[in-house]
Amino acid sequence: MTAGLGFLTALLILAQALLIARLLAPVLAPAPLTEDGLHWWGRLIPEGTRTLATGLAALAAVVLARTAIAWLQERLAHRAGVRVVARLREMVVAHVASRGPRWDTGGRTAQAATLVTRGLDDLLPYFVRYLPQLALALTVTPVMIVVVLGLDWLSAVIVVATLPLVPVFMILVGLVTQERSERHLAAMQRLGARTLDLIEGLPTLKALGRERGPASRVRELGDAQRRATMGSLRVAFLSGMVLELLTTLAVAIVAVTMGFRLVAGGIGIETALAVLVLAPEVYLPLRNVGMHFHASADGLAAADAAFALLDEADAAPSRATLGPAPDPRGLPLTVTGLSVATPAGTRLAPAALSFTASPGTITALRGPNGDGKSTALLALTGLLTPDAGAVSVDGTAVLSADAAVDEPSWLAHVAWVPQRPDLGPAGRTLSLGQRQRTALARAFESGRAVVLLDEPTSHLDRASRAEVIAGMRALADGGATVVVATHEAEVLAAADAVVDVTAARLEATA
Amino acid sequence: MSAAPRSDLAVLRDAIRDTGVSRWAVVRAVLAGTMALGSAVGLAAVAAWLIAKAAQMPSPADIALAATVVRFFGISRGLFRYLERLASHDAALRGVVTLRERAYDRLARSDARVILGLRRGDIVARMGADLDAIGDVLVRAVIPLAVAVSVSAIAVAIVAVILPPAGAVLALCLVLAGGVPALLTARSARIAAVVGTRARAEVSAAALSAMDGATEHRAWGTAHEATAALARADREAEHAHELAARPAAWAAGSQALFSGIALVALVGLGVLAVQAGELDGPLAAVVALLPLAAFEAVGTVPPAVQQYYRSAAAARRLAELTEDAGAATTGAAGDAAVPAPGASSLSLDALSVAWPGMTPTRPVTAHVAPGEVLAVVGRSGVGKTTLLATLAGALPPASGTVRVGGASSSPALTGAVVAMTAEDAHVFGTTVLENLRVARGDVDETQAWDALALVGLDGWVEGLPDGIDTELGAGGRTVSGGERRRLLLARTSLVPAPVILIDEPAEHLDDAGADAVRAMVTRMRREGRTVVLVTHDLALLDLADSVVSLDD
Repeated sequence: MTAGLGFLTALLILAQALLIARLLAPVLAPAPLTEDGLHWWGRLIPEGTRTLATGLAALAAVVLARTAIAWLQERLAHRAGVRVVARLREMVVAHVASRGPRWDTGGRTAQAATLVTRGLDDLLPYFVRYLPQLALALTVTPVMIVVVLGLDWLSAVIVVATLPLVPVFMILVGLVTQERSERHLAAMQRLGARTLDLIEGLPTLKALGRERGPASRVRELGDAQRRATMGSLRVAFLSGMVLELLTTLAVAIVAVTMGFRLVAGGIGIETALAVLVLAPEVYLPLRNVGMHFHASADGLAAADAAFALLDEADAAPSRATLGPAPDPRGLPLTVTGLSVATPAGTRLAPAALSFTASPGTITALRGPNGDGKSTALLALTGLLTPDAGAVSVDGTAVLSADAAVDEPSWLAHVAWVPQRPDLGPAGRTLSLGQRQRTALARAFESGRAVVLLDEPTSHLDRASRAEVIAGMRALADGGATVVVATHEAEVLAAADAVVDVTAARLEATA
Repeated sequence: MSAAPRSDLAVLRDAIRDTGVSRWAVVRAVLAGTMALGSAVGLAAVAAWLIAKAAQMPSPADIALAATVVRFFGISRGLFRYLERLASHDAALRGVVTLRERAYDRLARSDARVILGLRRGDIVARMGADLDAIGDVLVRAVIPLAVAVSVSAIAVAIVAVILPPAGAVLALCLVLAGGVPALLTARSARIAAVVGTRARAEVSAAALSAMDGATEHRAWGTAHEATAALARADREAEHAHELAARPAAWAAGSQALFSGIALVALVGLGVLAVQAGELDGPLAAVVALLPLAAFEAVGTVPPAVQQYYRSAAAARRLAELTEDAGAATTGAAGDAAVPAPGASSLSLDALSVAWPGMTPTRPVTAHVAPGEVLAVVGRSGVGKTTLLATLAGALPPASGTVRVGGASSSPALTGAVVAMTAEDAHVFGTTVLENLRVARGDVDETQAWDALALVGLDGWVEGLPDGIDTELGAGGRTVSGGERRRLLLARTSLVPAPVILIDEPAEHLDDAGADAVRAMVTRMRREGRTVVLVTHDLALLDLADSVVSLDD
């Protein structure tokens, strides 16, 4: 679409050039014009436009059309790009969401979050500016060459001869300077990271009373970074200079050559004027491609990161299915030997956890932070596959390391409230305490048979805590099986059974 | 509390002044830029004259000079453009370095309260980007605009000398082709800043919710709602783009219109002047063809205006960050009573702590004599770290008092008398030795090895490629969690302050880590220093002379 409008603009530029030639030729020619200097192209712009009134009216029409297209182009330019970026963002988000609870190792969710909230926006200039220009360079340039060829073959030869020099020289400059610029780029990034490192460490320095010293270090690093950056720019701008130099020089040579041929009578003034105005237009798309090339590099890097993420293999192999889940209402829920390895693989948390939660009771899981209380609840939802052990309902296995009942059928009976409930984008405007209350209310009112609560009182004041405990009790009295992970003495006191969750170190396997 | 809101221009002007960029550096870049775009105008003018003159079939010698000048302009444009880009980037980079140093310095001088509140890595990372954006205002706004003005002036001068009315028309059209798009682009940039920023925030919230809350959404079967919310936010963002695109489209259209009007008018005036016998053909060609090149310079106006708004927003964020810092510093300048070094008892009297807007903790009372150890326990999120920040003087107590060596706590004590190692203390991207010297600048290698041996890291450091001079990755990323904790402990053991606060992370300490804490606290005790230890490891409580719990 944008490229189509660009092509239309090119046609208008062509008409404009020919009209200017028509208008100026009669007053510049030493003798009245006898032949059509525009040759075949004269059929598009009749000789009648040589008169001032007709010519200027036609030129004004071209100007108005160009104005309209410039308006339309800017109006529509962003549309396709914005949609592509949104689609890509939705794909990345859906992919990350499908990864399962243990995907986030080494801050990968944080990286994905940066990519989704900021990185992908860099793609917009690529779609909005770079790609249309590339399309124009590939379509408009050949058309302009054909037109110049139809007007004056010698000028066309000069243009055709210089045009390939542009990419050739740019590639040559690129090859010669690549190693140098890569070295500079690496130095630049290292120095930039160090400066940020100092700023990031400022709270630490302040806490130790050492915050004043590094200001001069910031300066030194900055100066070194500037030198490295200038070193790389000196090289990087060379290819831009080659582009400018070749394209402008070619136009100058076309003009000078035509000048001497005019003196010798080898070419008409009308032809010469048309070629003079058109010559820079041949190179314009190419120059624009060069101008927007760097803007697109960041965007492509973001796109690469997104595709690398999307190409990642699926999460853990799915477990064998045990068919639809039995209704756990009124039946005891038994956990035997449940063990889950930490993401780092150094510990089991929980390690060999076993307990039975009876319907109509509250079972509390107790233990130090990081020993696997939350993980145990997550394994009970079936969303996390344990490394060993099983969960069964009245003796019927429902979840184990290598088999599970159908996820939706089991989840239909389970209400789970995590430590920091999310509740969707609207929930993010609520405080943690409000979110926790809302999430608990949802669980209490769900009527589900198994209720799993992770530290349900941690962000609440005392009055709300009492309400939550009363709510849990009411659920149990209604026949639900309540399992709660907690530190809180009041909650522990309200529980019918307390289970200690312990972790175990895994022997290091070199 | 900042005073009356200042205009974008004032904020940006202050920021540019802070870059310390010399006038001459900017003028040099503008001159080179004017030569570059002026070459394009010159090429168009002389080439037009050359072709028109040649059509009169003079002797080749008559156009030889013009031919040389055309070739010169053909080369000079690329050369001067190269020089301009180097000069403008060099000026901007120098400015950013100075600005960065000043911003760092201002932040470092500010109150402990501000700095310890700066935990969010995001703010810090954005500060780096904002500093660069302020530098960009030179390269992408100030210099191109100055070049646009001077090149337009040259073009108008050439035409006005040849045909005064044509010069007037060109001047008017250039002003309109620069000014009208500038106003429209400013409008577009303001819409993007308000509606666009809001829409982007919504997209971010929806995307983060769908990713962070993925497990919860799956458990409750609400995954499709999260996806729908993201799609809705994306549509809103598209609408915001749409709103901003409207004035931007009129800006592009108006630029095309005014340059076109100039072309039609100057071709007409040129032809009429020749027909009336007032003007020679070659000069008329110059008048008629010059507009084709003269409007290239004003084409830089819309992107320059957009850059102006981006840079102004960056300057405002930076000013807010450092202004807050300045305000807090002056506020704290009152308290002077700093206890004599060495005397380092610590008294907490019915002390309750809170970050502004949070629920205060249960009041605690404790007295720690020099050389004693106080342990702080409590469930996660109860406010143990906040208590340490208060003891360090970074936060005023919510109620009750803290006295350090007899003086009430104040930001002036932070670091000098009370040193703290936070749970998330920073490991710098430099050598092991330099990381230890963060504690004290004059730590020698023997002392460093001694501290590493104390926490049991000497074996690990010996195994590193360059031993104690091995660089750790930026942010200490190549260091494992356990090694990082022990390295921070080694650093803390070298801190000269009489009161030491240590915040152990919530995860369980491994045995080596627990041994390191034990060894370190024992040494502090022997040196007569006061230690406050936040811990989750109940086995470490036997180290303490007294224990306070924040659980209620």
